[in-house]
Amino acid sequence: MTTLLALILLLPAQFGTLDAVPSRAEQFISYTAQQQVVPAGKRAMLELRFRVSDGFHVNSHMPKSELLLRTQVELDPAAGVKTGAVIYPPGKEFSFSFEPKEKLDVYTQEFVVRVPVEAASGSHELKGSLQYQACDQAACYPPKSLPLEVHFTAQ
Amino acid sequence: MNSGTKRSALIIVGMILLVSLLLWSGVHNRRQRQLAMQQQPSRAMLMPDAAAPAGAMGGPDSGDSVTPKLQGKVAPAFTLVDLDGKKVSLADFKGRPVLVNFWATWCGPCKIEMPWFEEFSKKYAGQGFVILGVAADDAGKSVIAGVTKKAGVTYPVLLKDDKVEEAYGGVNYLPESFYVDKTGKIMLETAGLNDGSGGKDEIEANINRLIAVGGQ
Repeated sequence: MTTLLALILLLPAQFGTLDAVPSRAEQFISYTAQQQVVPAGKRAMLELRFRVSDGFHVNSHMPKSELLLRTQVELDPAAGVKTGAVIYPPGKEFSFSFEPKEKLDVYTQEFVVRVPVEAASGSHELKGSLQYQACDQAACYPPKSLPLEVHFTAQ
Repeated sequence: MNSGTKRSALIIVGMILLVSLLLWSGVHNRRQRQLAMQQQPSRAMLMPDAAAPAGAMGGPDSGDSVTPKLQGKVAPAFTLVDLDGKKVSLADFKGRPVLVNFWATWCGPCKIEMPWFEEFSKKYAGQGFVILGVAADDAGKSVIAGVTKKAGVTYPVLLKDDKVEEAYGGVNYLPESFYVDKTGKIMLETAGLNDGSGGKDEIEANINRLIAVGGQ
């Protein structure tokens, strides 16, 4: 009886999670900060992993038209850290169904941006943002800026 | 079976029924969400009914971005500057059917529609029909002018300000069009470009409805 009562008390919490309404956070890309470790005083590579929401795409860093807004990482200077030119992955070809001849270069699902760093020994935090502009199959959304915090340790 | 045992048995049966009901509702809700997500790719929407469910067309974050907020209401007044620097007000076209179209240079679907709008602005000019393009864009006048020229647009293209975007619900989903009838009310809001060949035909049908509202 006690087990059954406990089960019943726990169930609402479980179904509350299943029925949770998606967040209204104003982004189409998510970024999860992961602690990274690099050798101190040597050139190393940080990885920034992003995920584009299902059903959406964003222009790659090298879109095929100068009118399109590129995806770009901007990092603030940080004490004890030298950063190099950010390395972007190639995009994937994409066309809107209503304009199949025009080929776009986009990121969908997951993409990884790499940041060369050379850092003094210790814990570091790089702050910055990801600039991007997203579309779905029928429309486009105004440019967005996703705040970034990149945590890593040089040892 | 004594009365105490009977009561316990009834409670257990009741609990089992309750658990079954909760399980069924959870599975049912999950299925509904999965179906909704599968239908997500085609987001173009005609918004004929102001009672449409809120958020039906929003992005992952934009629950209310494209629900018909202004349909049936008087179109918010605006005065903006066109590409030649001339002031243009919605009030200048009082008594005429007007299509106010928000677009941007970085919006591919918007640029598909623009040649259609150009065609319709000429085809229905005799019936007083007017199209006003509003560039919801920070690209600068010369870039906007370049895009409109490439699209062959000759109808007025106006440069946005923050007030007009706010007045028209934020304009967070482009293209967005507001069909303003002769009485100054918004007959219809649309957002996004419909897939397939229906897009242009639908727009023309909407224009014909707009012209018919309030008599010839």
